[in-house]
Amino acid sequence: MAVATPTTTPAIPHAVLDHIHPEPQGFIRKYIFSIDHKIIAYQYFITAGIFFVIAGLLAEMIRIDLLKHTGVLTPNVYNQVYSVHGSMMVWLVIIPFVSGAFGNYVMPLQIGARDVAFPWLNLAAFWMFPPAGLILLASFAFGAPDAGWTEYPPISLQAPYGTSMWCMAIFLIGISSTLTGINFLVTIFKMRAPGMTFTRMPLFVWASAATAGLNMVATTALAAALLALFLERQFGVPFYDPTKGGSPILWQHMFWFYSHPAVYIMILPAFGIISEVLPTFSRKPIFGYKMIAFSSVAIALLGFMVWAHHMFTSGMAPWLQLPFMIITMLIAIPTGIKIFSWMATLWGGSIEFSAACLFAIGFLITFSLGGVTGFFLAAVPADLHEHGTYFVVGHIHYVLYGGSVFGIFAGLYYWWPKMTGRMMNERVGQLHAWITFVAFNCTFLPMHWLGLLGMPRRVAMYDVEYEFWNQVISISSFFLAASTLLIMGNMLWSLKNGKKAGPNPWGARTLEWMISSPPPYYNFKKVPAVLAAPYDFGNPLPYVGLEAEPGAMEATPQHTTGFVPAH
Amino acid sequence: MAHQVTKTKVSLGPGFWIVTAVIAIASAIMSYFVYASALPIGLPEAAEPAGAIDDLFKFLGAVGGTIFNIVTGYIIYFAIVFRRKKSDPPDVIGVQVHDNPVLEFWWTVIPTILVVILAIYSVAIWSSLQNTPGDVLTLEAVGHQYYFSFRYPKLANPVNNEMHVPVNVPVTLHVTADSPGFPPVNHGFWVPEVRLKADMVPGLINTLRFTPTTIGTYRIICTEFCGALHGTMRAALYIDSQKDFDKWFAKQGGAGAASTAGGASAGASIPLAGGTAAAGATLFAAKCSACHATDAFTDRKVGPGLGKIFADPGHPKLVDGSAPTPEDAANIMKKGFTGDIGQMPDATTNQISDADIANLVAYLESLSKK
Repeated sequence: MAVATPTTTPAIPHAVLDHIHPEPQGFIRKYIFSIDHKIIAYQYFITAGIFFVIAGLLAEMIRIDLLKHTGVLTPNVYNQVYSVHGSMMVWLVIIPFVSGAFGNYVMPLQIGARDVAFPWLNLAAFWMFPPAGLILLASFAFGAPDAGWTEYPPISLQAPYGTSMWCMAIFLIGISSTLTGINFLVTIFKMRAPGMTFTRMPLFVWASAATAGLNMVATTALAAALLALFLERQFGVPFYDPTKGGSPILWQHMFWFYSHPAVYIMILPAFGIISEVLPTFSRKPIFGYKMIAFSSVAIALLGFMVWAHHMFTSGMAPWLQLPFMIITMLIAIPTGIKIFSWMATLWGGSIEFSAACLFAIGFLITFSLGGVTGFFLAAVPADLHEHGTYFVVGHIHYVLYGGSVFGIFAGLYYWWPKMTGRMMNERVGQLHAWITFVAFNCTFLPMHWLGLLGMPRRVAMYDVEYEFWNQVISISSFFLAASTLLIMGNMLWSLKNGKKAGPNPWGARTLEWMISSPPPYYNFKKVPAVLAAPYDFGNPLPYVGLEAEPGAMEATPQHTTGFVPAH
Repeated sequence: MAHQVTKTKVSLGPGFWIVTAVIAIASAIMSYFVYASALPIGLPEAAEPAGAIDDLFKFLGAVGGTIFNIVTGYIIYFAIVFRRKKSDPPDVIGVQVHDNPVLEFWWTVIPTILVVILAIYSVAIWSSLQNTPGDVLTLEAVGHQYYFSFRYPKLANPVNNEMHVPVNVPVTLHVTADSPGFPPVNHGFWVPEVRLKADMVPGLINTLRFTPTTIGTYRIICTEFCGALHGTMRAALYIDSQKDFDKWFAKQGGAGAASTAGGASAGASIPLAGGTAAAGATLFAAKCSACHATDAFTDRKVGPGLGKIFADPGHPKLVDGSAPTPEDAANIMKKGFTGDIGQMPDATTNQISDADIANLVAYLESLSKK
């Protein structure tokens, strides 16, 4: 295999790097309480996947209710359904998917590590996740939370016991996120393969680092807010109740101090996934590597300074609206840089429309629209009209479904062969991408004008003139849900019948593709040295000392055809 | 790393400039229609700041739409033009460019300029909202589960689920939430046709200012989740002609039209005739001076200054444009006061009798005459 003659081979301390722990034996140590980051990632995938199905069914219950303007469900049930749908999608689906599952599986492989820095901590963090989900689900038996995923007091103080269970569940998942954040940050800082400088890290690793920082810092504010809400509900400590001298606005500040960065916790890893998928399927280096990497960090930092833009109508000093509005608008700049860089990555490429690539391209379009409507919401005078309406519901789904979930689907199609050693059916995958894209837009686009025309959010019934568009939305959402069956079926089918993937079916160049699929317990028999950034198609692979699986490096395109996109 | 492609050979792609022209023309047409439309979001404008907010919507729509057209247009174009064809050899690769500092400079600088322009425009509209005139008519809207009530100056009882305002009269609306007998919850106050919204938070007063411009009936919608029947919480905003408003107001027992009533009805129950200013001065020093100065209304200690309360140019006008009457002052002392300028406990808490009130009113009247 062709290997570049290194001008400076980084020194590798072999005594450390060649030491491999034996794989634990026995079902429990191997699959249940494993400390292997790959097994923990599978556990995250399966658990978050189950919650995705449950939360998706709750979403369909919402849409069934809204088929008729009078509502179909009783309002009490409806309120519990949409509140648990929101909480579950945010905390038990998207965050565990992007950090726990993809971060755990891909990040250590991409930096050439054998595991994360603190494997036992990783194990502990995962095992807070299923109980959190079960507590939240069990809350239905005690009167589930019903004031939305934001649970604004004072009404959340008066709700039945389920809201206290919501506090416990989210508190638990918050601790899990914090631990994962610390773990990932240390892993990325301390465990990169020799020669992998910061600017040679794959972009998914950059995104994971920025996300880990956010997880570590922001989640503590949420934990404090939740603890206070729990203490007030169970023991009457008056933090938020205005009749006892508390402040309902205090909760909003603390909640959004976490929950705005949480938007970036959910979207930055998706940015990372897109930054891996697009170069691979256009056979091009990512365009503007440094700008993409630094803009992730810029977004993470700015993301801490904009939380009160969720509260423009809540009641704050009017002058205070200005800094929050302007800083929010500034986030458009690093986000725009990313979008333009991805567009330029497509330019001049040799684009293969795999399912992963289709989802990545769909992401660019839907996320851009989410960004544009975000600007509408940032401008205070416009927000005075839009706040609390279906416009916001449309916006959040363009960002979290059209952004994060499209990213998750792209990542699933992309890394599935690595994780299982089998290929999914590409045709079915592409069909899934197309149906999802169309059904997604038919579901969430009409919400924007419904909101502008006067439909408030979180309502179990609405004015009759909105019925037509609500029915369009509901019917589209049934197609959207059904399209998910395609990927679930595809996965199950592929486990048995999928073509053997081999180490590198896509011809990608990051480190995880240099080892067998699925990787062995120790990931890298010999830890490689890294000579350059990973995305230079047509150049020899920048790894030295890698005991590569046969076929890994050969599968990478080595020869340019001199393709020039001229007439 | 050697680049395989020499720069001279690279074109932007077949038909790149045609596509660019199409995107530009489409964006221009779209922006034209956004700007030409009288009502960019399809709702009538019923009050003064709605027009300014709609102007912002037009600007955001034109700029945001153009950006979206550019992103989507080029992505679809690149995806089609640079797709891998069946005839391509299996090991084909794309053009190996890593960056382009000039391009990256411009796609950082141009969006930055756009953001600055949008921010300046938004701030300008925002500041015009801050300077919206109000205060000619001052009202309070209170959210309850699941109805709104509206308190008018000089109306003894709040009006439920009906808000009447006269056309072309600047309105200041204080909103809050309360639910007598139950723990209060948040609500929201939104009139889509006015484009304004404020959360109704218990213990907190938020303020909206607008000037109704179009006679008609509009929806008042609750926009913060407030319980099982949140979706049903509605009230009606009637923008009336001054004549209709006066008629309605008189029917509610208001003093604005029936001026002979001489103030709020509850105030009339306190006999004011026997009060003496001297006794009032002593009482004022003991009971009131901790919070109130005897200077102009705007000279606040805890509450406003009361030196010229019955003839104070700095005092907000009440519903009929007149200054407060002695009966109004007596009524506030009796029942207490809650509003954006502060709170005052009622007579029981302050431990003042009706006779004390009469003395205090006499004292305040003597101050106002000086």
